[in-house]
Amino acid sequence: MDGLERYRGIVPEFERLIEAIVRPLPVTARINTLKTDRDRLLFRLREAKVPFQPFSWYSLGLKLDVEKPGNLIENLMGHIHVQEEISMVSPIILDPKPGERVLDLCAAPGSKTTQIASMMVNRGLLVANDPANTRVASLRSNCERAGAINVVVTRYDGRRFPSHEFDRVLVDAPCTGQGMARKDLSVLDRWSLKRSLGLQRLQRALLRRATDLAKPGGTVVYSTCTFAPEENEAVVSWVADQVERVRLEKVSIPGLESCPGLVEWDGSLFGDEMEKCIRYYPHQNDTGGFFVAKLIKE
Amino acid sequence: MWWSRFGTPLSTFEGVSFYRKGRNVWAFSLPEIPDMRCESVGLRFMSVRGRVWKPTTYALQLFGRFATKNAVDLGPDQAEKFIAGEQQSLEADLEDGYVVVSHRGDVLGCGLYTRGELVSQLPKERRIVKEGIENCLSDGDS
Ligand SMILES: C[S@@+](CC[C@H](N)C(=O)[O-])C[C@H]1O[C@@H](n2cnc3c(N)ncnc32)[C@H](O)[C@@H]1O
Repeated sequence: MDGLERYRGIVPEFERLIEAIVRPLPVTARINTLKTDRDRLLFRLREAKVPFQPFSWYSLGLKLDVEKPGNLIENLMGHIHVQEEISMVSPIILDPKPGERVLDLCAAPGSKTTQIASMMVNRGLLVANDPANTRVASLRSNCERAGAINVVVTRYDGRRFPSHEFDRVLVDAPCTGQGMARKDLSVLDRWSLKRSLGLQRLQRALLRRATDLAKPGGTVVYSTCTFAPEENEAVVSWVADQVERVRLEKVSIPGLESCPGLVEWDGSLFGDEMEKCIRYYPHQNDTGGFFVAKLIKE
Repeated sequence: MWWSRFGTPLSTFEGVSFYRKGRNVWAFSLPEIPDMRCESVGLRFMSVRGRVWKPTTYALQLFGRFATKNAVDLGPDQAEKFIAGEQQSLEADLEDGYVVVSHRGDVLGCGLYTRGELVSQLPKERRIVKEGIENCLSDGDS
C-alpha cells in the first residue's frame, strides 16, 4: 500500500481510499445498444433470474451479481460488454455523434471502442488503433461481438499516427494503472516514480499527436486509470502549453462524486486551468480510480 | 444469397457495404475506407469456398433476426447444448445447410443443419459449457 501514501495530502478521506482499495471491484457491464435495447436486455436478465442493479448515473450501465459474467449468454450474444464502471466515463465525455470521424488512439482491448461505436449507432468512421499485436486480437474480437461495423482497426505507434482529420480523438493512455488496484493489488508494488516518468514521455507524445489529428473545433479526451499526477495533470498541462490553439473544457458527469484536477503537485505548478480536469477515487463511487481531461482545438 | 437462404429483406443491409478479401467477405458501414494501413475493416460477414458460403456467428447475431426462413428458435435445453458447441437431433422446418439459431427471440449464432442434426458453429472460444452457465436458460414462466 506504500504506493498510495504519497497521495494522502490530495485525496479527501484518504483512510476510506485505503479501505476501499482492498475490496474487490463490483462486476459491471454495459448494455450494447447495437444489438439490443435496455428494456429488452433487462427483461432477459429478470427472466433468467440474473441479479443486477442499474447504475444511478448511466442508463446503460449495470452491476451484476454473478461470478463469471463472461459466461452469461447475453455476453456471448454481444448484448452486454463486461466493463469497469468508471471507464465508461471517457466515451461519455468524448461524446461522439453518428456520422462523425473518430479516432481511438490506444484502443485495445476495445471496451471504449465498442462503447463509442454504439454511441455512433454504427454510422461514421471509427478508427481503433493499438500497436500491441496480441491485444489487437482481442480488440478485433470484441468489435465483432459487439456488432460494430463502422470500425477500422490499425496498428500504428500512436505517436506517429498518419495525418488525417478527426472530429474527436480519445487517448486512453497506457499508464501505471494504480486505479485498477482493486483488480490486482500488485500494481501498487510495481509502481515507481521512474515508471511514471517514463510513461509520461510517451503520454505527452500521444496526447500531442492527438491534438494534431483533431480538426479545428474538434475534441480530444485524455484518460488514464492511475492516480499519479506525473501521468495526468503533468501531461495535460504540458500539452496545453506546447500546443497553440487548444483549450481545456470543464469535465463533469452528474451523479458521480469526483475531485477537480490538481493545480500543483510536489513543487510543480500546473495552473488553475487543471481544475477543469476530473479525478475519480475508488471510495467515491465504489469503482476503480480514473482521470479525465477534455481539450478543444480552436 | 442471404435473401434466397434466409429471406432477409434487402433493407436489412441499407448503408452496409461488402468487400471480399481471399475467402472472406466483410461488411462495413463507413463514409470511406481511410487511406491508411488497416488490419481489418468492419465485421467478418461470411466465408466462401467455391460455391459454398458460411455466415459468421457475429454476422447472424447482427442481421439474423431479420431472417424469415432457415431460422430456428431453440428451447432452453437445446440452447444449452448449442452454446456448449454440441450436436443434437432436431425436428424443424429447415433446409439442409447453415441456419440462424436463436433462443427466446435473440440470435445465438450459426448452426449447420443436415438430415435432422443441428451442429453448433459457434467459435470455440465463445462456447459456454454447462457448469459455467450463469444465466439458466429458463423459459421465463417455468
Ligand atoms: C489503458 S489501455 C487501453 C484500454 C482501451 N482503451 C479499452 O478501453 O479497452 C492502453 C493501451 O495503449 C496501448 N499503447 C501502448 N503504447 C502505445 C503507443 N505508442 N501508441 C498507441 N497505443 C499504445 C497499449 O497496447 C494498451 O492497449
